Amino acid sequence: MSFTIATTVDEALVALGAGARPIAGGTDLVVGARHGKAALPGDLVAIDRIDELGGVELDSAGVRVGALMSHAELMTDPVIVGSYTAIADASALVGSPSTRHVGTLGGNVMNGSPAMDTGAPLTVLGATAELRSVTGSRTVSLDELWAGPGRTTADLGELLVALHLPPAQDRCGSAYVRLEYRRAMEIAVVGAAAAVTLAADGTIASAAVALAAVAPTILSVDGVDQALVGCTPADAGPVVAALASEQAAPISDLRASDRYRRHCIGVMAKRAVDAAARRADGESIAVPVNRSLGIGAA
Amino acid sequence: MAIAEVPRFVRADGPDKVTGSGRYAADINLTGQLVAKFRYAGVSHARITKLDTSAASAMPGVFAVLTAADVPDVIYSPVVPDRRLFAKDVVRFEGELVAAVAAVDAATAQAAVDAIVVEYEDLPIVDDLEAAMADGSPLVHQDWESYAVTGDTVQRPNVASFSSIEKGDVDTAMASADHVVTSRYVADGCHALPIEPRAVVAQWEGEKVTIWTSTQVPFDARAGVCETLQMPASKVRVIVPHLGGGFGGKCGFHFEAHVAALAKAARRPVKLVFSRQEEMVAPDRRREGMIVDITSGVKADGTLVARTGWIAIDNGAYTADAAFFPQLAAMHVAGPYAMEAVKVEASLVYTNHQPSGSVRAPTAPQACWALESHTDELAAVVGMDPVEFRRANIVDEGVEGAAGQVYGEIGLRRCLDAAVGASAYGDDLPDDEAVGVAISWWPSFPGPSGAYIKIDSDGSGMIITGAQECGTGSVMTLRMLAAKELGMEPEDFQLVYQDTSAAPYDTGATGSQTLLNNGRAVVEGAREVAAQLRDLAADQLEAAPDDIVLASGKAHVSGSPDKAVSIVELAGIAAEGEMLIGKGSGTPPEYPSVSAMCVGDQGLAGWAGPQFACHAVHVRLDRETGVVRVLDVSAAHDSGTIINPVAAHGQVEGGIMMGVGQALTEGTQYGDDAKQRNTGLLEYKLQTAADAPTIRTEFIEIPDPNAGPYGAKGLAEAPNVPTAAAIANGVAKLVGTPVRQLPMTAERVWMTSEGMSS
Repeated sequence: MSFTIATTVDEALVALGAGARPIAGGTDLVVGARHGKAALPGDLVAIDRIDELGGVELDSAGVRVGALMSHAELMTDPVIVGSYTAIADASALVGSPSTRHVGTLGGNVMNGSPAMDTGAPLTVLGATAELRSVTGSRTVSLDELWAGPGRTTADLGELLVALHLPPAQDRCGSAYVRLEYRRAMEIAVVGAAAAVTLAADGTIASAAVALAAVAPTILSVDGVDQALVGCTPADAGPVVAALASEQAAPISDLRASDRYRRHCIGVMAKRAVDAAARRADGESIAVPVNRSLGIGAA
Repeated sequence: MAIAEVPRFVRADGPDKVTGSGRYAADINLTGQLVAKFRYAGVSHARITKLDTSAASAMPGVFAVLTAADVPDVIYSPVVPDRRLFAKDVVRFEGELVAAVAAVDAATAQAAVDAIVVEYEDLPIVDDLEAAMADGSPLVHQDWESYAVTGDTVQRPNVASFSSIEKGDVDTAMASADHVVTSRYVADGCHALPIEPRAVVAQWEGEKVTIWTSTQVPFDARAGVCETLQMPASKVRVIVPHLGGGFGGKCGFHFEAHVAALAKAARRPVKLVFSRQEEMVAPDRRREGMIVDITSGVKADGTLVARTGWIAIDNGAYTADAAFFPQLAAMHVAGPYAMEAVKVEASLVYTNHQPSGSVRAPTAPQACWALESHTDELAAVVGMDPVEFRRANIVDEGVEGAAGQVYGEIGLRRCLDAAVGASAYGDDLPDDEAVGVAISWWPSFPGPSGAYIKIDSDGSGMIITGAQECGTGSVMTLRMLAAKELGMEPEDFQLVYQDTSAAPYDTGATGSQTLLNNGRAVVEGAREVAAQLRDLAADQLEAAPDDIVLASGKAHVSGSPDKAVSIVELAGIAAEGEMLIGKGSGTPPEYPSVSAMCVGDQGLAGWAGPQFACHAVHVRLDRETGVVRVLDVSAAHDSGTIINPVAAHGQVEGGIMMGVGQALTEGTQYGDDAKQRNTGLLEYKLQTAADAPTIRTEFIEIPDPNAGPYGAKGLAEAPNVPTAAAIANGVAKLVGTPVRQLPMTAERVWMTSEGMSS
């Protein structure tokens, strides 16, 4: 049993290579262990003090978001709120103020829960994940990264160091909405993110929609772009609702039946597209959309 | 009210709780202390075919392993004794205790628990209330006829307690109605969920045991230990450090005897601390699931003439304190309405679920939800506004209620007017918003209670009381009563409480009764001290004792404020001779007589100090998803005189939030194996601070001569009764039909609005 505090990525990678598991905020790892979901790993390497893993930086390829960015930081970061708003919407809904302050983007992504809030926003925004190990680094799409509930394709020796987002387009907007039964300490019953770019005439020039908690991993809805291009945002609603409900493969559990989830994911997808299009059109809808538009228990 | 002249003062336990310096039962640690862990049944209904603790007992670090064979074979519980400390032969719910272990640490104790070998032969699961009552159903208790039930308790196969309330000729009255409406409402069970999971520490010194425990009822806990371990009360001391909430979940006797027996066997102090999951599965205190069928007859002009009701209440595997639930539920289905004839029958049905027990206003929120939803249906059928329908049919002064009690001056009509008037009822609202209204009632529970009051040589006061503080603030309010009698300030008094060896008996923090009963005791005790002070002051001031006034920390001669002596000075004089010590108990208020016929009477058809309330709740419905949000609540309560307004508002606000949870998100989900599926705070959804609506509260203060001090009634439970019902009526307006299941989860609301049944 060991606990290593790493101050550089290289130190962390050595520990990972030796079999340790990384811990940042611990909001999944520790809570899961307490509930008997999975025992706390014997060897841990704390990565929360590694400066290289923080920050949001603009670069030629777009934006690099450090894996250690907390939900609380993301929901107020000017670049994220300004151009990648769906991520801020999602971060603002995670858990409670205390979980948002210690919980990180990297943890949310690597925990691989199909109900993760930041997963659908990252997917519609075209994010890629940068993984590093002692032998080098590689960048993978999120589709490749998530393998199933709680599973990723990352090797045990690999650490997620950053998410990369492509440059924001003109007249683009994004939003994440979720069905929730209360206003704090909640997990998505279902959630939907949309990214929309508008043409000069106000019709949709491009669109992407991804869904949370309706499949074993975050589900990118097929055919959205083809179906919505040229539509007005108002006409897009029913179309995207039908696509989302059709493609969802929800389960029944304590939070909802599959039938109710299938219905509600259509509603959420429609609302996400609506909010994203309004933001693309320049309307300021405060983060998170759930509270601003009275969605769920808001 | 004069008593409310001191509206704000610091709770005696406030600074400790806020700063973290306060100590709770789990904070107690004793030299040599062992850790207790329980082996639970883990199955809902089975015969034990093998129970072998030898491997566990042989483990290093294990000091005691107990089963039914190691403790006296006592069948206990009030009214319907039907359970033992440990399962004997048969287990009847998943959280039933099969064995207990005391070991050096938690890991060793858990390993020993896991090493106990238990084999079962499955027995048929009984988990459907109607099927359980049908002829030929498997029985939860084969020996039910042998149980030594007390009083007028009526039992039937799989029915632990049956009660009815019957007044007038219901068939004739129903036949005279122009409209007859029948409704069925079904409520899921839910939990009290105090934030502090319970803890118990026991230590023996010779033949005496001291038990520190998180109970709401220290004297009940002591009685349970005495009964099950066959000990005299003089050998058992129960102390409650600060209590981290109860809401009824910590009423009754629970695990104090198990821990005491472990400590005796281990010859070491033993400590038990529950996990959240244990807290939700093992105690015999959960809010009961319920089926309510109501039929009412109304005249075309809106006059209610007759009502019949059939109620099935989920008792779970054992009866705990629930024998009175049927009668109380029947009273709530009859409701605070006047009508010619009533017949309501209620059964407490054994199942293989966790036992039910008193959680804040037992049976009432669910029964009120059913009744008040039904009442809106009645109003609709005669084309009346629901508030007007209530105005036309509620009980009032001089009117005979459902059980035949004739009321004195009561505030129900004023509550209805005040709550509706403060709300947006009748305003033009957006089409996804509505205001629902519900009325309710709740008894006060008179009982014996005692306290000592003393003033020490330095003039500081002390209240030594049997009362228990569970967060309601009523024990803290006792200081206001003593201060008023003695012309002192509340802060002048310390409290010694929550210790069965220090103070006279009190029922505990249960039945909204602390202020009602212990308040009476404190006032009486303080008056004894006041008489002593007047005698002393009369000597000093050369006046007659009757002319002495106690005010502002002084005794002065009536009409001559300058002719005074301080209470501190008098206390110094008394300390040299006859000390300032008073005692109080007094005669409890009387239970009124009733004219109704009550089969299976549990003494709850006639109510002393009846409390009344009305909540008007403004809700918003997300029509596409069925998610309901409570925007604001207007509450009006008649709980008699309000002694401590700050605490009273807190009770109403807390009761409403608990009601919002019951209405929308809190419900136990069971598997086919009759085991609970949502035993954690992730999947059992409490309301959070972020969900709290705006709450406006008005108190209709009508001093009740047959109640507590200065005409105060109880208030801890009443605010929890009508909230879910009012929310339901708001939602029904928006959906167009009632949601007939509680909690009214988003999915159920959506299904109802889509015309689907679940």
